[in-house]
Amino acid sequence: MIASQQGADRWLQQIAMTLLLLVPLSPVQAQWFGSDWFAEKEPLQVSVDDAFINVYSGPGRGYPIFYVVEREEVITLLNSRTEWIKIKTRRGLVGWIKRDDMQFTLALDGSKPEFPDSTQADYLVDRFEMGAAYGDFAGADSLNLNLGYRFTKNLSAELRYAENTGQFSDSQIIAGGILFQPFPEWRVSPFFGMGGGTIKTFPSSTLVQTEDREDSILQASLGAYAHLTGRLFLRVEYTNHYILTSRNTNEEVNEWKLGFNVFF
Amino acid sequence: METWIQRLFLSAALLTLTGISSGVYAQDETASEDDELEQIIAPDIKRRTIKEDDLDSENFEAGIFFGLLSIEDFGTNPVIGITFAYHITEDFFVEAAYGTSETEKTSYELLSGGVELLTDDERDLAYYNISLGYNFLPGQIYFSDKLTFNTNFYVMAGAGNTDFAAKDYFTTNFGAGLRVYGTDWLALDLSMRAHSFKHELFGESKSITNLESRLGLSLFF
Repeated sequence: MIASQQGADRWLQQIAMTLLLLVPLSPVQAQWFGSDWFAEKEPLQVSVDDAFINVYSGPGRGYPIFYVVEREEVITLLNSRTEWIKIKTRRGLVGWIKRDDMQFTLALDGSKPEFPDSTQADYLVDRFEMGAAYGDFAGADSLNLNLGYRFTKNLSAELRYAENTGQFSDSQIIAGGILFQPFPEWRVSPFFGMGGGTIKTFPSSTLVQTEDREDSILQASLGAYAHLTGRLFLRVEYTNHYILTSRNTNEEVNEWKLGFNVFF
Repeated sequence: METWIQRLFLSAALLTLTGISSGVYAQDETASEDDELEQIIAPDIKRRTIKEDDLDSENFEAGIFFGLLSIEDFGTNPVIGITFAYHITEDFFVEAAYGTSETEKTSYELLSGGVELLTDDERDLAYYNISLGYNFLPGQIYFSDKLTFNTNFYVMAGAGNTDFAAKDYFTTNFGAGLRVYGTDWLALDLSMRAHSFKHELFGESKSITNLESRLGLSLFF
């Protein structure tokens, strides 16, 4: 009875934790983080500058076109999702238009709305990047996360976290590093990097040597970014890990990694 | 050519109406009430350029889910978790998920009476994973004559870790689901996942696939 009550308590705790995590993510709150609190935003209005623009019922090319806005019709832009923009017509009809169709509109003062096509070059400076990758760490499956910031178009710093799960031992790597990209404009752009951190190793309890270890690790890596679409890049990397153990010999592990990075 | 000329005239007309120089514009506030023509043609035109950054983008999705997770040999139990997704294009999205569940005793433990393979703490299961998803088959559900909901199916695959029986197991996952959009920023998610990993809890190495069916609610922001 007591055991089941404890179980229920734990469940409640988990639910509460989950809810707490969600609270700051609600859309109302997200707007609060903007500059103008509570202030009613001025509507963004454009007029159609082509014969017509198709209005879709949802933000995807598969949704049906259920309306067209005609030349000189004024529409209000509400928000955007991926390559789609939610609009409202004068009559109150709400639908989605393609982001590319913004080139066929004019702001009410006659200027062209600025919706530049995002290219690889837009992600070269002052950008955060986040990525995940799968790797093979000396036979162990490795899951990598990285968070980086690009100061200049050639240089970025990043934090790396990896969890390696193997047959005989698990390990965690926390490291920091610097990446240098000599040709950032290339669609497939090579980079090399250096870094260091710590590795914690947890041998399986079924083995003789069961002591957890924490060692320093040095990393040298060579890899490439490949621009896929918009802010999404593929990242391939070969890393040489040099583990400075407290034993007589140091260990060396070579790892292949494949993953993707998103720039913000 | 014709459209080009039309565009030119339209731009010229709009520019004239809003007042070409800023000096004129400053006086406009008071003068416009007397200017009959302007009131009739363009009463609420304001001088404003539009940039993409002015538009609120809603590409992130945060959600909570409940469901049933069936763990091979350890029973089927409730699972609860959170998801966080970023929609890269209309087709692709990445999703990180975290879920927890508690497992039951195996049949062997129940039948043998006193044998306990795992402690209570070891029976807790938690997993996390990162997946790449693909949206397809967009559609609509006609709920009533006034109410329609947008929907889409998705498939996803990814990898992560499962923490179970005091050990981490590298886990691959794939899944599919149906997303029903209540509004543009609220979605109901009805989906299935399969989590596969290999363990040696019974002495021999064994590959298992755990099926999960779940119902989630998520917000776009």
